[in-house]
Formats: sequence, C-alpha cells, structure tokens
Amino acid sequence: MVDVSKLRETAREIISREDVRELIGYRAGTYGFRARPAFVYDPGEVDQLIFNPACVNNLATYITLEEKLPVPRGQEPDLRKVAVMVKGCDSRALVQQMAENAYERDRILVIGIPCTGVVDMDKVQARFPDVLGPGEISLEGDKFVLIFDGRREEIPKEELLADKCKRCRFPTPLVYDVLLDEEVAPFATDDYSDVEALESRSQDEKWAYWEEKFSRCIRCYSCRNVCPMCYCNDCILDRLRPQWIRRSVDISENTAFHIARAYHLAGRCIQCGECQRVCPVEIPLMELNRKLYKDVEELYDFEPGVKVDAPPLLSSYRPDDPEDFIL
Amino acid sequence: MAAKKLSKEKVGEVLQELSKFRLITPVKSDDVVLFREIADPKEAFLEYGNSTVPPKKVVFPQTETLFRFTIGNPELREKNVEEEGTTVIFGLRPCDARAMSIVDKLFSWDYEDPYYLKRRELTTLVGMTCVQPPSINCFCTSLQGSPFGKDGLDVLLVDMGDHFLFQPLTEKGARMEETLASYLEDASPGDVERASSMEEEAKGKIVRSIDPQGIAEKLPSLWEDPLWKRVSDACLGCGICTFLCPTCHCFDMQDEVERGEGRRARMWDSCMFCEYTLHASGHNPRPTRKERTRNRISHKYSYYPKRFDVIACVGCGRCISLCPVNIDILEILEQVVEA
Amino acid sequence: MAEATQTDFQPNIVAFLCNWCSYAGADLAGTSRTQYPSNVRVIRVMCSGRVNPMFVVNALQEGADGVLVSGCHPGDCHYMQGNYYARRRFKLMRNFLEYLGIEPERVRMSWVSASEGAKWKEVIEEVVEGVKAVGPMNKFQRRQLNW
Repeated sequence: MVDVSKLRETAREIISREDVRELIGYRAGTYGFRARPAFVYDPGEVDQLIFNPACVNNLATYITLEEKLPVPRGQEPDLRKVAVMVKGCDSRALVQQMAENAYERDRILVIGIPCTGVVDMDKVQARFPDVLGPGEISLEGDKFVLIFDGRREEIPKEELLADKCKRCRFPTPLVYDVLLDEEVAPFATDDYSDVEALESRSQDEKWAYWEEKFSRCIRCYSCRNVCPMCYCNDCILDRLRPQWIRRSVDISENTAFHIARAYHLAGRCIQCGECQRVCPVEIPLMELNRKLYKDVEELYDFEPGVKVDAPPLLSSYRPDDPEDFIL
Repeated sequence: MAAKKLSKEKVGEVLQELSKFRLITPVKSDDVVLFREIADPKEAFLEYGNSTVPPKKVVFPQTETLFRFTIGNPELREKNVEEEGTTVIFGLRPCDARAMSIVDKLFSWDYEDPYYLKRRELTTLVGMTCVQPPSINCFCTSLQGSPFGKDGLDVLLVDMGDHFLFQPLTEKGARMEETLASYLEDASPGDVERASSMEEEAKGKIVRSIDPQGIAEKLPSLWEDPLWKRVSDACLGCGICTFLCPTCHCFDMQDEVERGEGRRARMWDSCMFCEYTLHASGHNPRPTRKERTRNRISHKYSYYPKRFDVIACVGCGRCISLCPVNIDILEILEQVVEA
Repeated sequence: MAEATQTDFQPNIVAFLCNWCSYAGADLAGTSRTQYPSNVRVIRVMCSGRVNPMFVVNALQEGADGVLVSGCHPGDCHYMQGNYYARRRFKLMRNFLEYLGIEPERVRMSWVSASEGAKWKEVIEEVVEGVKAVGPMNKFQRRQLNW
C-alpha cells in the first residue's frame, strides 16, 4: 500500500519545482466510496491527494486530452511539465502514447504507483448503495476493508476486484520518474478464455449477442473520450466530410461506430479497461478490444504499450506476415 | 377523480390490456434498465430503482425523421407523428415525468414544435412512486419535486406494498381509469391518508440537497470566476451527463441520403461535445470544457429559470452517479453559492 | 421454397482493385473474353494500401453482400510496401468482423497480378460462391428506416 504521507510529500516537492505546471493525482469523491481525479497547481493543495483501491481512473488520458487554445501574440507557450500519477496499467498508456510520438518524454513527470488492484465501483455500489460517505477502501491481505459511517466491513478481494485486475500482468509501472512504493510482482495471468468462449459460438449467435449490446448504445462517446489512446485532433466520429459514421443512432451506425472505435485501437489498446468502466449502458467493450489484442499478439507477436521505441503495428509489416486468408 | 386500488397481481393483466396501445415500460437488458416498447407484458421490469436512460427518448427520440425527400423532386414528405398511435409509458418515476413538463415549456414557447407536442398529446404517463430513493444521489425534493410527485403525470400509482393506489390526475388519466375500470377496485378509506404519510417518509430518505435560492441571479456574475476551470479540470467532454439527463433537450439536424432517397433527421446533441456551437469558420465560442461546463450549469440553473420560471433540473442524480470522473452538480452549485 | 431463393440469390460484391496489378488483371480477363460471374462491382484505387478498412464496413452497411480487396503479389507493389500494410489491416478486420458474427466469406482479399486474367476469374468464382453460401447480408446494413 502506498503511504499517503509519502505520496503527499513527493507531490509537494514535485509541484514546488519551477519546471512543473500541474500535478494530476487522485482525491476523495463526493459520495460513497468514490475517488476522482485531482488537479494540483500549488503546493498548498497536495493534502487532498490520496491513493487507494477506489482510484480507478486512468489519468494518462489527461496528458492528451488538454484543449490548447492558440497562444496570443507576444506570449510564450507554457512548456512546463505535467506530473501524473499512474498505476501499472495506466503507465502502459504513457508508453504507447510516447511510442506514437504523441509528446516528448521530458514533457511529463511520471509518479509511479505499484498497484495491487482496484475495485469495481459498480460492485461496491451494489453492496452498499446507501452510503453517502465519505467511505474509505483499503486492501489488507486478501480482503478489501471498507470503512464508512463508523462501520468496518471486510470483503474478500476476489468479490470486489475489477475484472481487468484479475488479468493484470503489469502491476508495477513500466515508466516512471519516482516510484512511490516497492515493486509489486505480477499476480495474475491472462488466458483470453472470455474471448475464446465467444469466438467458438456460431455466427448468428455472435451477432445476436452484439446486436443486443450495440442497440443499447446512446453514442455519448464516453468510451472514446476516456480512452488514453483516443487522442486524434480530428476524430473519424466527428468528421462530416466524409461522414464515415452517421450521427443517427440505430443498429447500423452503432455497429459501424463500435467497429471503428475498437479497430482504431488495434495494436494500441493497453487494456486499462476504462471504456468499459465508464459505459453507462454496460456494453462489454473490453471483449472487443481484447479480441484484437489477442489476434495482434498471436499473429504479429506484438504487444502495445511496453516498449517506447516499438514501431506502430499497422504502419509496419514483416514480409512473412500470415497470409493464409488471401486468395 | 377518486383514487382506486390496483392489486399488484393484476398488473400483468393491466399491461396486457394496455398492449393494444404502443406500450413502453422499463425493461432489463443485462443489468441495465431502459425504457422500451414491449410486446409481451412479461418483458416489463417494474421492480427497479430508476432507468439508466430516461424515458424522455419516447417523446423526444434520440434520432427522429422530420421529413423524407427524393433527390430531384422538390416535394417533401413530412412525418406524421399521429401514425405512431396512442402511447402509454407505464412505470416511470415522478422526476422523469416532471422533466417532461419542464421541457414542454421549451417546445411550446416561441415556436410550437409539432413533432414533440403531437407525441406528448398522444402519450399517457403512468408513474410509480419511489418508496426508496433509487439512488444515493437523488435530490428531487430540493427542486420542488417529490418521490410521490404528480407534475407531468396522468396517473400516479402509489406503491402501498401489496397494492397500488391508482390516482388519475388529468383527463388522460381519467380515460386510463375508464380503460382499466375492470381491474380497479374502490380504494380503502385509509389509503389516501396513509399515502401522504408515506410521502413524508420517502422524502425523509433523500439525503442529498441544495438550496437553489438565488443561484439563477448569481450565476451571470460568476462568468469569469476561476471556479469553472477547477470544476471542469477533470471533465472528459463526453455526453453522459447530458444524454442521460431527463431535461436536456439540445438537438442537431442532419440530412442523410441513400441512393437518391433522403431524410432530414434531428438527433440529440450535447453541449459537452467539442463540436457543439463550432462555427463553420472553425471558431468556437465555447472552445474548452470550461466554457462548456459553465454553459451546462448556467442553462439549467440560470437561463431556463429566467425564461420559464422553472429550473431545468429535476434532481434525478443520473449525471452524478454516472459521471466517469465524479463531477458532481451539487458540489458545483455549492461552490456557486459560496463564491 | 427457401432453398430456391438461396440459389436464386445474386450477391452484390464490391471489389477494390489496385491500379497496377489487380485492375489490369481484371482488364486482361475482360479483353481475353473470359467468362466470370457478373456480381462484382469494381472500384479502382491506386493501391490496396489505400483501402481504408472502414470502406469494407461502409460497403457492408450500404448493401454489399461481400467485399473483395485485391492487390499486387508481395514484393510486387508499385509503391514497394502498400500491399504489406493492407495485408495486416484486412487480416485483423476480417477476424474482428467474424467475432461480431459477420461471416468471413464476406470479406476477402486476393493477390492478382496484371498477367493473371485466369486467376481473376477463379477468385471471383470463389468469392461469389462463398457469399452465395452464406446468403444475403442481413446484419447491420442501413435499412430504409420506417420513419
């Protein structure tokens, strides 16, 4: 577990530096057990920072989400660093962003958090719907300990752990300038049994499954916006000429949208699971991303978000790539 | 119009009876509750808290054809909403019904929107009370609403445990009572009094609140306040808070053409999207999420009450519960009050 | 009756052919007066690497029952490597569509050189047979919506 006083002290040092503009971390949410992103600009603000298993957000998103206004004539752009707290999975987003030359390594200052797993907030909410909070979650051994309204509840880790953490192979950040705790050894493996189970069904069964899911989509684009890898200035979904995907919400456009979203992440998705977490209508988006992830690994022996100097999958090739499907 | 009693065993038969209309009820799809047109009463899922997507989409569809055209032919074929027929939304919550009565003011204001208003006219709203608040983030009682609220509803079903108290509230409600007469019994005399004490009890279970007094007047003075940057720092710019809001009603127009046949359709838009109010020149008067968040709050709590005398928020709490980064409208309003 | 409809079904196939090899190959089949199924509608592009995978999705939405992307043989690309990029893209897209329940017979890729008029005929025959076997596309095409 990360020691909060050490975290705040590190943050205080970092935000006091002249070459750091802001620090992105976590703070307590407004109700229940939630935690939320915190933006710190001043050493006086570091005491709100926390880290616990409720800190689910992938803060790497904010590096590329910034909306830059044109710099007024006569003014210099603010080139100071952005400091960001990342868990193991989140750090892979930074690696992949840098592999794609989204920004230079020295633009960011990475505070790494070795992570033992975060909760699935929906599962917490379902068990304790009436907690106004603030409630605190911590991990003790193989149990999550929830403290709220003067009560203390212990729940087996397995029951509240987020699904992505059950398959996590990178609990310790792959890139960091400061590491807040001892490295955590990988504690899980991934066998893609969920993807394989779906692959083995008939075509009509698969379509029936996805048709139901896609028909629920309201196209709020939260899956795109939360994604650290979705940072195109001119997104295919917003273009009008050509309008690749229409704005109308029906099964045809929703399907095209979900194909485009997942496919644009082929060889890029780092499995932080944020898209599926935020989806208000609970479309299992990770089952789409993971299919592509699995194929990319099997066909091209490629894993995104682990090497900063890896060439992007779809703008590289090997002469002996598989071509059994070609007539 | 006297209250009647509807026993819970008869709800299935009532839904069967109502399926001669276009019948829309909450439906469970995986773990998500949505409003959908149902063919079989068994699909209805009435033991729910509140739906993820509000039933506003029934009267204000997310995508709606206004007219069709053929390339090269100046004739436009307008949508006839009448063809959709009489619609019944069964089992919606009082906050969502109240939201419709708020949005009505906009669509019947300087321009009377024929599509929306016709659909409203054809739709009967049969609401169900919230005995338990559906969410920790409910705050309807701060905004003149109530878990037993009647605004916008044609019939209110008060959940009395083993039966409903059937309260017709409007002419459409009275017609509904006639339609369902054979399933209704006379209410027992104590029920009405018991309902009002239950209402007080249900109101007491709502834990979150805001005092909206003075916010509408104060918001314009905070136009350049640094609070907008701070409250929108974490915003992702997605459409969850607006698309899932029962009172948000912004829309966009699109022409879609398919091999010479086309339609003009309107579809929901969100003020949190980066293309919202983007000009053809590339200029955007709301260039960042700061301005867009300010617009969302100001529209609900300042522009709308100034024009229509009612806050365009019903306190359903969806935007709080479903926000991926826990941006909390109550916290923003508290900061507005304190600023 | 249903079976009769199945055999009567004439699929619409959209084919994206590269300018330098496959289009010339199809042209050769034509000038050689080779008979092959007329279900295919050709769109000429400069290179198979120019075919955005969303073309396939949009074609299926717009009423195609199958899509073929055809380019030069590996090593022969006029632009050196366009077909290699295309090969990765369409392998992934084809697998992905299959995962959603879109039959892989609908998304095909071939290498046809400028001299392979006879191979073009074989490719088209196989594509058309494959799509006929899985029937009309009925999953996510843009329908004439009822208002």
